[in-house]
Amino acid sequence: MRGLWKSYGQGTHQGAYVVRDVSFALRRGEFLTLLGPSGSGKTTSLMMVAGFETPTRGEILVDGHDIASQPPEKRNFGVVFQGYALFPHKTVLENVEFGLRMKGVPSVTRRRQALDMLDKVGLADFTARKPRELSGGQQQRVALARALVFEPDALLLDEPLSALDRKLRESLQSEIKEIQKRFGISILFVTHDQDEAMMMSDRIAVMAEGRIVQIGSPSDVYLHPATPFVAGFLGETNLVPGTYRGTEHGHAVVAFKDAALGCARLPADGRKLTAGDAVLVSVRPERVRLLTDKAEPNFVGHVTDCTFLGRHTRYRVQALGQAFAVSVTEWSPAAALSLGTPVRLNWAAEDAQILSEPDDALAPPLEIIR
Amino acid sequence: MSPRAFSSEVDPGSRKENASRQRARAPFRSNRNGKGSNRSPRVSGHALLLIAAAPVLLFLLLPSLIIVPMALSKSQMIQFPPEWISLHSFSDYLGDRQWVDSTLLSFQVTITAVLIGAVTGGGAAIALHGRSFAGKGVLVGLIMMPIVIPVVVLALGDYLLFAQLRLLGGWVPIAIAHGVLATPYVFISAQTSLTSELNPALVRSARSLGARPCSVLYHVYWPAIRPGVLAGSMLGFAVSFDEVVLALFLQGASAVTLPVRTFSAIQYELTPKIAASASLFLALALVALALQALAARKTGRLS
Repeated sequence: MRGLWKSYGQGTHQGAYVVRDVSFALRRGEFLTLLGPSGSGKTTSLMMVAGFETPTRGEILVDGHDIASQPPEKRNFGVVFQGYALFPHKTVLENVEFGLRMKGVPSVTRRRQALDMLDKVGLADFTARKPRELSGGQQQRVALARALVFEPDALLLDEPLSALDRKLRESLQSEIKEIQKRFGISILFVTHDQDEAMMMSDRIAVMAEGRIVQIGSPSDVYLHPATPFVAGFLGETNLVPGTYRGTEHGHAVVAFKDAALGCARLPADGRKLTAGDAVLVSVRPERVRLLTDKAEPNFVGHVTDCTFLGRHTRYRVQALGQAFAVSVTEWSPAAALSLGTPVRLNWAAEDAQILSEPDDALAPPLEIIR
Repeated sequence: MSPRAFSSEVDPGSRKENASRQRARAPFRSNRNGKGSNRSPRVSGHALLLIAAAPVLLFLLLPSLIIVPMALSKSQMIQFPPEWISLHSFSDYLGDRQWVDSTLLSFQVTITAVLIGAVTGGGAAIALHGRSFAGKGVLVGLIMMPIVIPVVVLALGDYLLFAQLRLLGGWVPIAIAHGVLATPYVFISAQTSLTSELNPALVRSARSLGARPCSVLYHVYWPAIRPGVLAGSMLGFAVSFDEVVLALFLQGASAVTLPVRTFSAIQYELTPKIAASASLFLALALVALALQALAARKTGRLS
């Protein structure tokens, strides 16, 4: 029976805290990604779950049992490392059988199970090959088969696709996702690539400097970032400083430079604001609207740059005392705005987010429930 | 002469004169149909290299090769050039109880020494692999010491030690001492093999799949270290079989290795038996070399 498992960990690595008060829960069948830049503690956290690092403090619970003291060979997780780490001197079949063999499953049974699994991942014809004779995608399938065959509680993947080129990476991402859906396995995935995280995850835990800064679904984390770091890490954003004036219709009213008023969502952590507080508002470039008519509110500015990027056109607009990045998907030579054109910008209240400043004190991670 | 001619095709380190001649001939053959004019600098460069290399190779090979005709001589004394061809020296050698015992003892000692060296050197390589700690350099230095220390020093120390332990007189102390001598060779070889062959993630992989330390050793470390241990062991075999100083110091009435017996026979009993045993072992070495070359070609790896 596999149920909810929680992990609380504080790890130390050579004296300095590399992972601080990291807590999250991986639900059954969920795809959770630990996303962050290098050094954010995401791989260390994964290694603690796998058993290759020991937490200095904290617990790792599976079905309510704390497994933090168990060595990796006793834990029931399948791990896929970067580069896949297939046993080079063994055939594909022997690789997949390995976990079962270590469990003491008799050879006839384990052969059958391994062949079954290989058939499911579409490698039935490759059982006698050695890993070096396979393509990258095939190797990944072997690695996944090997990790799944003994029915682990969860799969742990440590940046398996980081070293690959874009095209291959995208096709392998869909393969992993497909396998996850087919087997219904819980996956804990580590990556620094935000596109990858957004594409594959049910939930993303954004990490920085050893802490989880925000956990939520990809849309939550993207559209309603909690801190400037999260806003900046997932895609591009405009950060606009302003002053909180009050709440109207459930949204905050913020005064920007030159007393121009705009709206935004209230802070994600539920923090209470008082009038006069300085706040930072994040608006994604694709949510900034270039107005053709006089709608309220609006901010006056002028175009300073225009770049055609294929999928969208990026304008730089000088308004409210800073350079705004505005992303527009329609493109036609006639509608293109030339440099210096005066424009008006605004955005919907729903599309702007007041950000919180990160604290240094150990604050609980922000979890957005939808 | 153009320096361009010294191509990598000719192997100056080869002990087989014919082999290097053969490889050098290849450019000759392939150039027959090509334009003679721009190939000639390379051709004469090869010839020059051969002229320079041949005497050196001859000089290196002569001491080994001279043994065989001496073993085939008819007379009871070792002489060169031999008078008649005969195989009596071989039968003399194989009929002499003492010499046969020495031969068997040498094999016994060497095989034991190689086993000791393989386990010790291989084990050390695995234990130290990927780990760094204060004093690691010292430890590695310690392991490598038998190569660096003068053998006489080692021999004297071993003699005094085994005398204290009252173990002198048998073949065991010689085997142990040779094992110590063989260890660094296996260690280096195994270490190199491990570093190049072993992906560190493999150990973690195996553990995550439930492998306990023994299984990790057998399934992950052994395949990676095997070529290194084998290569180091062969080197250790050569070192041990050949070894005179330690075997001399530690010899006993029934523990006289072949090199030691040969050594004393040279001084007191200059019979062709000596040449016979030496020829046999030259043949053995050639066979071993051939086997190794075959094995290397099979695995596609240059050892």
